[in-house]
Amino acid sequence: MSVIEVTDASFDGFVGAKYAVVDCWAPWCGPCRRIAPIIEKLAEISAGEIAVGKLLVDSNPATSRKYNITAIPTILVFKNGKLEGQIVGLNPGLTAESLKDTVLEM
Amino acid sequence: MISADVLIIGAGPAGLQAAIHAARKKVSVVLVGKTENSALAGTHIENYLGIPGKADGSEILRVGSGQAEGFGCRMLRENVISAARKDGGFEIMTENDTAIKARAVILATGISRVKLGVPGEKELFGKGVSYCAACDGNFYKGKTVAIIGGETESAASAELMTAYASKVYWVAKDIAASERMIRKAADAGAETVRASAKAIIGEDKVTALELDDGTVLSLDGVFIELGARSSADLAMDLDVMPEMDDSIKVDSSCFTGTDGIYACGDVTGKPWQLAKAVGQGAVAGTSAAEWVRNNVSE
Ligand SMILES: Cc1cc2nc3c(=O)[nH]c(=O)nc-3n(C[C@H](O)[C@H](O)[C@H](O)COP(=O)(O)OP(=O)(O)OC[C@H]3O[C@@H](n4cnc5c(N)ncnc54)[C@H](O)[C@@H]3O)c2cc1C
Repeated sequence: MSVIEVTDASFDGFVGAKYAVVDCWAPWCGPCRRIAPIIEKLAEISAGEIAVGKLLVDSNPATSRKYNITAIPTILVFKNGKLEGQIVGLNPGLTAESLKDTVLEM
Repeated sequence: MISADVLIIGAGPAGLQAAIHAARKKVSVVLVGKTENSALAGTHIENYLGIPGKADGSEILRVGSGQAEGFGCRMLRENVISAARKDGGFEIMTENDTAIKARAVILATGISRVKLGVPGEKELFGKGVSYCAACDGNFYKGKTVAIIGGETESAASAELMTAYASKVYWVAKDIAASERMIRKAADAGAETVRASAKAIIGEDKVTALELDDGTVLSLDGVFIELGARSSADLAMDLDVMPEMDDSIKVDSSCFTGTDGIYACGDVTGKPWQLAKAVGQGAVAGTSAAEWVRNNVSE
């Protein structure tokens, strides 16, 4: 499974899955480029279990506003459409595996 | 335009030792960095082989700079603001707009100390506190923000933020930024405040910044940009992916895995020690010089 491009329009539908993770990013954000491989790997190892998406913040301001995002990268974690977690910035211990465990234990 | 076979970024013990070893291999060497910003400056070292008592860190740097220059290394006492691959080699820009072309690059930039360490900083991270104006500037359209830090990077961020925010304070007690960037920030409308940050204030989002002179600035965002351009950013400019803890992985020859790029010292991870910085500096300087001699035809 690859990472799905999510927009303001498709957001609510996307996060309605049992488990969903959305990586909010922008191309000129260095730390975002470092999170990207982790998100890609998460999509790979959690295919069928977690819906994994990414949202370009500049083109999708409504979602950024709704979730009060003021720093990227921000990873939003949803369970059945409800926001359960928000991870801001680079977290040295973060791996695709640890993120998967965190999400599924929510 | 300056040209070098080996360009070293960082004027701490790792960079200086790399300069000495590379220069002795008869390649041209340029080192860019400020010794006064080395972790060693102002410290006392008691555990370095052969030096008894408390060795003065600043003195080691002063003598070491002289040794590097003595072996033919050219030193530029400024910061690097960007790096890129170009024409099979590399091109580096400094804060005073000097372009340097190089065949090999050694990253000896130490650890970036990015945290301010004031109350409110940790609690309000992601709620108005940011460490990257380029990443998060867009969230502050029409708002009031402060940029904290005295180097060229912070002045550049202050200038950048004037494009988004309606009011930008550049908060810096000691200013070490280039004259050119100070002027650009001022011309763009950023207001310079000569003070240190004491606390970041807010309940669930930033509402104010308290300064050491007692002033309280009401604002919506605080951008903390303390040092020079970070090792992680420079590495990414050069197609080297840093580890998640910002360190740069190297092999036993201090090679990063990306052709022509080496790293040494604190930037490669723990232990953060002078002896390791000097040891890796010698290895990186030698490896980079050998790589240039073996791979570049005149
Ligand atoms: C308080 C203190 C006490 C210490 N005590 C000991 C001790 O007792 N024993 C011991 O072994 N070690 C000690 N250390 C650690 C030791 O100082 C470091 O391990 C050593 O300085 C690392 O050397 P370095 O060259 O890798 O990095 P640094 O010395 O930090 O040098 C990094 C250089 O890179 C430059 N730089 C960074 N970014 C840029 C850029 N964008 N452009 C240009 N230049 C850039 C910096 O300005 C600086 O010149 C101590 C450190 C501190 C802070």
